[in-house]
Amino acid sequence: MLFGRKHKNPIKITDKGVVEWKYTTCGYCSTGCSIEVGLDDKGEAVASRGVGGADVNRGKLCLKGIFEHELFRSAGRGKQPLIRTRRFDKFKTTTWDRALDRTAAEIQRIQSTYGRDAFAIVSTGQIMTEEFYTLGKLTRGVIGTNNYDGNTTLCMSSAVSGYKRSFGSDGPPGCYDDFEHTECLLAIGSNLPEQHPIIYWRLQQAMEKRKFPLIVIDPRVTMLAQMADMHLPITPGTDVVLLNALAHVILAEGLEDRRYIAAHTNGAEEFEALVAQYDPVTASRICGIDEDTIRNVARLYARAGSAMTIWTMGINQSTHGSDGVVGINNLNLITGNIGKPGGTSLSITGQCNAMGTREWSSCSGLPGYRTLEKEKDRQEIADFWGIDADFFPEKRGLFQTDIFPAIETGQIKGLWLIATNPMTSMTNTARIRKTLEKLEFLVVQDAYEDVETNEYSHVYFPAAVWAEKEGCFTNTERRVNLISNVVKPYEDSRPDLWIFNQMAKRFDQGRKIIFPETASAVFDELRQLSKGRMLDYSGMSYDKIEEQRGIQWPCTEGAESGSPRLYTDGKFEYEDGKAKLIPLLFIDNNERPDEDYPFWLNSGRVVEHFHTRTRTGKVGNLNKFSPTPYMEMNPDAAKELAIDHGSYVRLTSRRGDAVVMVQLTQRVPPNMVFIPFHFHECVNRIALGLLDPHSRQPAFKQAAVRVEPIVDQESASVRNVAARSF
Amino acid sequence: MFKVRDDEPEYAFVPVADGPVRNRYGEYINLAEENSVLVGKTLNINGDNGISDNPNRYKQHGFYFNADNCISCHACESACSEKNNLPPYLAYRSVGYVEGGSYPSYTRLNISMACNHCDDPVCLKGCPTRAYTKFAEYGAVLQDPDICFGCGYCTWVCPYNAPQLDVEKGHVHKCNMCVDRLEVGLKPACSSACLAGALDFGVIETLPDNRQQLKTQIPGFPTPEITHPNIRFQQTKSLPDELKRTDSIALKYRRHSAQGEYVTEVDTSKTDGRRHWNLRKLLSSHENAHIIFTLCTQTTIGAFMLMVLGPLIGLPGLRIDAIFSWPLAISMLFIMSFGMAKLNLHLGRPLRFYRGFYNWRLSPVSREIAGVTLFFAGFAGYCLFSIFDNHVSMLLKQAATVTAIIGGSVGMFYMIKLYLIPARPFWNHWQTASSFTGTALVLGACLIALVTLTGTGLEQSSVRSQQLSSVVLAGLSLEAIGLVFHAYAMKKQGGEGGASFFEQISRYGKTYWLRNGLLSINILIMGMVIYLGLHGTIGIMLAVLVLMSILVSCILGRALFYVLVIPTTMPGAFFWRNKGFEEHAKQSGLANMPQTGVVPDKH
Repeated sequence: MLFGRKHKNPIKITDKGVVEWKYTTCGYCSTGCSIEVGLDDKGEAVASRGVGGADVNRGKLCLKGIFEHELFRSAGRGKQPLIRTRRFDKFKTTTWDRALDRTAAEIQRIQSTYGRDAFAIVSTGQIMTEEFYTLGKLTRGVIGTNNYDGNTTLCMSSAVSGYKRSFGSDGPPGCYDDFEHTECLLAIGSNLPEQHPIIYWRLQQAMEKRKFPLIVIDPRVTMLAQMADMHLPITPGTDVVLLNALAHVILAEGLEDRRYIAAHTNGAEEFEALVAQYDPVTASRICGIDEDTIRNVARLYARAGSAMTIWTMGINQSTHGSDGVVGINNLNLITGNIGKPGGTSLSITGQCNAMGTREWSSCSGLPGYRTLEKEKDRQEIADFWGIDADFFPEKRGLFQTDIFPAIETGQIKGLWLIATNPMTSMTNTARIRKTLEKLEFLVVQDAYEDVETNEYSHVYFPAAVWAEKEGCFTNTERRVNLISNVVKPYEDSRPDLWIFNQMAKRFDQGRKIIFPETASAVFDELRQLSKGRMLDYSGMSYDKIEEQRGIQWPCTEGAESGSPRLYTDGKFEYEDGKAKLIPLLFIDNNERPDEDYPFWLNSGRVVEHFHTRTRTGKVGNLNKFSPTPYMEMNPDAAKELAIDHGSYVRLTSRRGDAVVMVQLTQRVPPNMVFIPFHFHECVNRIALGLLDPHSRQPAFKQAAVRVEPIVDQESASVRNVAARSF
Repeated sequence: MFKVRDDEPEYAFVPVADGPVRNRYGEYINLAEENSVLVGKTLNINGDNGISDNPNRYKQHGFYFNADNCISCHACESACSEKNNLPPYLAYRSVGYVEGGSYPSYTRLNISMACNHCDDPVCLKGCPTRAYTKFAEYGAVLQDPDICFGCGYCTWVCPYNAPQLDVEKGHVHKCNMCVDRLEVGLKPACSSACLAGALDFGVIETLPDNRQQLKTQIPGFPTPEITHPNIRFQQTKSLPDELKRTDSIALKYRRHSAQGEYVTEVDTSKTDGRRHWNLRKLLSSHENAHIIFTLCTQTTIGAFMLMVLGPLIGLPGLRIDAIFSWPLAISMLFIMSFGMAKLNLHLGRPLRFYRGFYNWRLSPVSREIAGVTLFFAGFAGYCLFSIFDNHVSMLLKQAATVTAIIGGSVGMFYMIKLYLIPARPFWNHWQTASSFTGTALVLGACLIALVTLTGTGLEQSSVRSQQLSSVVLAGLSLEAIGLVFHAYAMKKQGGEGGASFFEQISRYGKTYWLRNGLLSINILIMGMVIYLGLHGTIGIMLAVLVLMSILVSCILGRALFYVLVIPTTMPGAFFWRNKGFEEHAKQSGLANMPQTGVVPDKH
């Protein structure tokens, strides 16, 4: 063997000089990975690694987590509060006091002029549970507007709504450990390798130990579809039909769990009557999956000792999102697959703390899965906060997707946005611009001052990001995990908790209510408010959470640990303890491809980016994998239109147009194009986003578009580059 | 030593497995016997003198890639870039893919690739500075950036695109097998980070748990015959008959046997099928320094050799003592210096130029540099001693002549040899030799003609001009014959060479035919000149025209030679490792944002 030299030179390998590793939880998606951030002797965050002993990720991280330490000092971070009189003036830097005073004064002016609900607040799934709870207290208990929601309406509200309708409460009943027990897994509109790589790894490891059938329902041939035993390339927006047909076969062939249905559900008769209409032949003509396959899947699922379904945005972001979730729950209820190991309906959530906002932010009601509609809940919270229960409205107000139209038509005059970027995330960008410019006052609170929505704000609050502060996230499997403070906030940015507390002090009622200053003191309030409830936190403490690398609620006082599953006893959250089987009539209201707009427009996520790229668009080692938007298009369709691989094309819809680079691939059918949703001024310029009647979630993934080749590639490129400020 | 965590998961440790004694290529997997001087030494990583007690420390290790499982999540690449603190514009490990089939029976095959720490490390052999060492420890092939002077030759010879030329830092760096982790029993960062049960690591020729195959090839992976790479694959799932690349390289892979072997074919759908000039790209490539260097040295060496050796092969008109003149000597010295300066300045670290000879035992680059330098010294000596007219200087002049002849021959030989790279099929053909030799004859003779005939007029030196014309004709013919055979061979062999040729007739089609046209016309004119001679003003004008035409054709030809070569690397992705996108990013300005991961051109 040739070695090159006998006397070897010393070896140099990069040593980042980590002197201390600090425990925290990843701030991207809701998988809930435990991360350690490495600090060098100057206290700079220089490295990230997965926590070896953490049950969720077992030492692994996806690429976003691997580079998460780079967030703290990345480009575009807000350094100081900014202020301006009119949105087209130049921003001036200001002090926190002035920015907060001006904002409080504007809120009070708008509310006294136009009514309490004329000021709206839209938050996020990104900040800590303690911060959500505090924002809820500020909004519901002090400011008193009922037009308060989170951007989780864009991602999880269909799951929330579906869980509530079926089980009487929100709360995913399963966990990742179910992969270790299930005998059949159905994944609908969920692409784990791209969206939740760590959950995919858990699934892959489970399958490697003990193979079970994996069935993937997705209109694209995703990596998960490719890894599946069966891939059902469904027609967009028709999941409910397929789910009804699966139930039809199960019931028609007597494969259902009669005992479970009788003991734990209501509404079986109406349900059975409806699914009788959805025989596989009828269904196959609507959903595009042949009748044999439908029967095969139904039998496989029903005969498995335990079977589970996971889903993500393929179900949620649809005009039948909530119905889709109910359809999945129906399937699992009739087969007795709820609350048992390997048998569950597990929504795979999007944002790191989408669960936290569902549980504690009071967006859709009151803290701890309480509702405004129940007098008892209103009274409990009013007493706990020390305010008059009459201050609460008796019904929840508008969802995020209804708040924007209300701004457009003048019912809402002021808006506070917290860690959300509707300029990129909402459909019909042109309409959003028109909407935002009508606001008399907009305050944007975000870790990044280059967040696109800031173009329309009057005041900007620079927020601390992720582990620059302390608190908890709840993950997809209801695991509450700790984000400990790793580095101090960048420049003069402040934790969201501090900002909410300072704002409370500027209102009369805010001075009467106690707003604890530390996250752990807020956490104590959560423990008290959750005691004895489904989402019981009372047995948790920060130390215990860190020690166990996260604890799944419910964790009752004195309990050693949390609970992996809900409804194990078959008792649901409806008054009579039974779940509901709900008949789902399918009405096709989608904008389907036609002669003018012959392609389905589908959108989704890529692994290297998170949401509107305000974070990942600045981390070179992530962004380089897709630095500019692209569109998957079938080569056969492209040939007919004389469109080249790698060229720019113009897309038009009934909303407007967009320019995007083409990637030809057989991954998509000839009548569909797919565009990642992360990019500013791209897919959401043309998407429709019809709203789900129950969850008000937009159907981002179903619209019709036309594709045109562009002769002047150079100007198309100029237009694209102009929209890429980061 | 690298710190192992208390809660380090089981999967992160390299399994201790008993494998065969020799690998499939007949090499011992154990790289050093117990009593070898190579055993028991510290690796001296970052000044740490610890010695690992890893029982497999002296066994050849390698990566194991299960292509059935890879999902292209980028965790391996990212874990590597994070550990090695790499900038966005380069990576030691990259994931690319090939795809095929028709919706919905579509398959994408992802390939994660880094350094394969080969049995036959062509990088180590090629590197002129001896920056590479293959270690008996784990069989790791490591490169030392502190020695490297940034010539990038290792990036040419490696079939896997493993060494990375860092244009910002001016040197190469590459995968270090995470030997710091191996010393404490941990798998490299990439393998520990894999999220799909795809990438693994261990002693070579041993199967990881739950795996079935130890293949040496999958579609898209270059032939293992060049270097005997230490990577093994599993690929059991059925694939479509045709697999395409999403990057801009005009290659695809076609199944040609029931065993699932694939051949590399040219993908003609990658261009619009029309011929283009593409002159801007052709003449602004990073290889301009090589164009200038090779043309300049070949001209000078050619001219000198013609003068010295011409009379010996029946060209008395070229006798050196008759031809040698100060204008000629100065132009030759100037051209030679210009070429060498250009080459040196293209190095990432020009001040380390002297390291170019370090690997004279193995590297054709070292030998080329040595030869060319020797020639330069000999020729300079010849000029110097021509000033004096005494016995000693005569002797010294003869010694210098011999030195220059030896240097020039060695230099020319290795200048050719260094391009005969298996990983670059477009160059790996005797046409490289015919072209370089042809150019030396043509430009050497032209230079002599230009300088010595300008003053004297054509008629007076009819013998010399006749003989110089013959040399030019011979050189041009040699070049042309080489090109014909090369074109035929590239078309026939397909693969990367075929793809290069396809680029030549499509993206550079007009330029290619211009060069071919000029070459043919030049041959015709030279034939006429020899037959009829050059007379009067028309003769002079024709001479000037043909000289210009020769120069243009030589420059175009050489530029095509460099810009067209397609190395045998693994397929890229749509953005990352896609030459087409990199070019677009530079042109459109996307590259000006560092997070695009493309270094903008500096003008």
